[in-house]
Amino acid sequence: MRRHERLIVAAGALGLFVLWEVLVRLGRIDASLAPAPSTILDALSRLLRRPEVLASLGVTAWEVLAAFLIAVPLGLGLGFLLAEVSALDALFRPLVNFLFGVPKSIFLPVFILVFGVSIPQKIAFGVFTTIFVLIVGGVAAVQSVPRELVTVGRVYGATRWQVVREIYLPAMAPILLESARLGMVFNITAVLLCEIYGARDGIGYRIAAWGENLQMPQLYAALVLVAAAAVAVNEALRLVETRLGAWRQRS
Amino acid sequence: MSRVRWGQVALYAAILAGWELLPRAGLVPRLFVPPLSEALAALVADRREYLGSLPTTFGEILVSYLIVCGGGILLGQVIGASAAAQRMVLPVLRSAYAVPLVVLYPVMMVWFGLGSESKIAFASIYAFIPTLLTAVAGVAALSPALAETARAFGATRAQQILYVSLPASLPSIVAALRLGGALVIVGVIVAQMLGAADGLGFLITRHRTLLNSPGVYAGIVLVLGITGLHEILLRRLERSVAAYRQA
Amino acid sequence: MTRALVAIRSVSQRFGVDGASVPALEAIDLEIPDGQFVAVVGPSGCGKSTLLSLVAGLRVPSSGTVLCDGEPITAPMPRKVGMIFQEANLLPWLSAEDNVAFPLKLRRVARAERLAAARRMLELTGLAGFETRLPHQLSGGMKQRVAIARGLVQNPAVLLMDEPFASLDEQTRMVLGDELLRIWSETRKTVLFVTHSLNEAVYLADRVVVLSARPGRVVDDVAVDLPRPRSFAMTSSERFGVLKDRIWQHIKHAERR
Repeated sequence: MRRHERLIVAAGALGLFVLWEVLVRLGRIDASLAPAPSTILDALSRLLRRPEVLASLGVTAWEVLAAFLIAVPLGLGLGFLLAEVSALDALFRPLVNFLFGVPKSIFLPVFILVFGVSIPQKIAFGVFTTIFVLIVGGVAAVQSVPRELVTVGRVYGATRWQVVREIYLPAMAPILLESARLGMVFNITAVLLCEIYGARDGIGYRIAAWGENLQMPQLYAALVLVAAAAVAVNEALRLVETRLGAWRQRS
Repeated sequence: MSRVRWGQVALYAAILAGWELLPRAGLVPRLFVPPLSEALAALVADRREYLGSLPTTFGEILVSYLIVCGGGILLGQVIGASAAAQRMVLPVLRSAYAVPLVVLYPVMMVWFGLGSESKIAFASIYAFIPTLLTAVAGVAALSPALAETARAFGATRAQQILYVSLPASLPSIVAALRLGGALVIVGVIVAQMLGAADGLGFLITRHRTLLNSPGVYAGIVLVLGITGLHEILLRRLERSVAAYRQA
Repeated sequence: MTRALVAIRSVSQRFGVDGASVPALEAIDLEIPDGQFVAVVGPSGCGKSTLLSLVAGLRVPSSGTVLCDGEPITAPMPRKVGMIFQEANLLPWLSAEDNVAFPLKLRRVARAERLAAARRMLELTGLAGFETRLPHQLSGGMKQRVAIARGLVQNPAVLLMDEPFASLDEQTRMVLGDELLRIWSETRKTVLFVTHSLNEAVYLADRVVVLSARPGRVVDDVAVDLPRPRSFAMTSSERFGVLKDRIWQHIKHAERR
């Protein structure tokens, strides 16, 4: 984005908020349905000072992290396996692609049947939702390594291990990171879905509760918080992805 | 049939057999996974109930589909037609993609209640950004020579979009339809699961709270059938549209 | 007579495809003395690249032996043999100097030492000042120079080149050809240069080996008696034309078939 375009977008966003604020103050927007931004910001600062809210955020963050740390190595490992062992790939690929295309959210009731409403259930569902992106990404990453580079390695005397470390890993890094980033997006959505659907704690649970009790300022404040956190994580991962993938530009 | 094919068939057969036999043998608790036959039997036995949930569900899906795909695709055409618009809008959309939109559903319920409006609103928002991104990408991928040729013949911006860009991006439009449709279906069902008085998702949740596993699986099988059907139909459409692209 | 540095003795190569075996090379006998610049030409599919991969140690001959310095080649010998491919095949995430230093890194040479060697090679190939550029910031010709520098960095006795200029435009090809001759005259490596271009073969080499169509056999071994250093003017001399025509006669028949 060119500089003046950034300003246009920022100004536009700001303008929308100002408009919202004004319309609420004028009574044109029902404050009980959509409180003014100033009210929301005030509720947000108050929320962040309540320990039980922070604890709920911690629970959600823990579930997200645990699911991610399980799904990433497992998914990538399976992806590498599929890419390297062509027999397994031929056998399982259609199944993986099919499961990849199936909406995972509808399986949530099954996870509750199996695990009950609990933290392991949410972590398991998070892993289930995330792992397919990582399997597919793992396969794509391995296949993206040009064979000629491996030949170069061999000609110059690289051992098997050196081929993996000096050629495969750097070549695969951009796709692996992209898969991890996408996986995280799905992961966060999955964990929050669990918490809204049925939970005893977590920020999603609180959001559902605030909604039921029509506590709109808190509800909106939590939405802002969750959205900001998710976007921040995504942008952080994207930054790493861009740094490590700068060499992929075409001249 | 090749060896690979045989292997795949054997794999699927093993999965289906496992689904049927492992619960029966007590190796998997029936509460977790009922035998396949029981799930299908529940589907048949309660078919009136399931079929009764479909009109509401399909109605909500249809309206959301029109909003997302109609709006998304048209907006995609407009944004895609301008490089400046793309530069301004795409980064915002891509960042927004990371927002877990599922948290908006409680808001929808407050605004619209438990009825169809909340499902439609939620599914439309849920599916809109990915569909829009696909639609814009499709237009952006068009050869600029097409647009230039149109302008050389004196077409206005609107005419260029309508008569050149739209038909030329037909394959990517169908791809956007396919994605948007899949997301809309999921959006509606999930919304129904989270809070509704009617619909397939509502049924699934109700069976779950009653610990009626066959009922839950029956509902899931039905949803899979709907998404599968949608996928097949749109793949076919995509193929027939892509055919003329070779010309 | 100088001892042969690379000796290819009764080498045949067969590839197994779906049970049947396809002959790629047949009864190749070549003795290449130290410091000679040999070009290998032939119709498409005649096995030129296969021959090169045998000398590189990437493959083992179905029958016969390939020797370097008296020792049979059964695996890549990076200290003795450097290879340059049609595509530069640089590691895209490494700078030019890191790319050139790559073979030394594989041998666990210390960083300071290998970068010094890399920079010397880049200077030799005319790329001083471009050490920190990434491949996507380099033109095709520059990438090949980096690849050549990489091939030279371990000071191998033999340089294998598989149509290295084929994907470059003609002017770059000519410039790089002269560069290559300059480097060769300074370092006196033994060069085995596969090319499709008869012009290139006669212009660059001391000797042109002509292979037949598949299965590749040596059908001619032409000594290029043009004086060195070579110049562009020589390419329009009568002798040049005679040599080219002699080679062309072999290939013409093969391509027609």
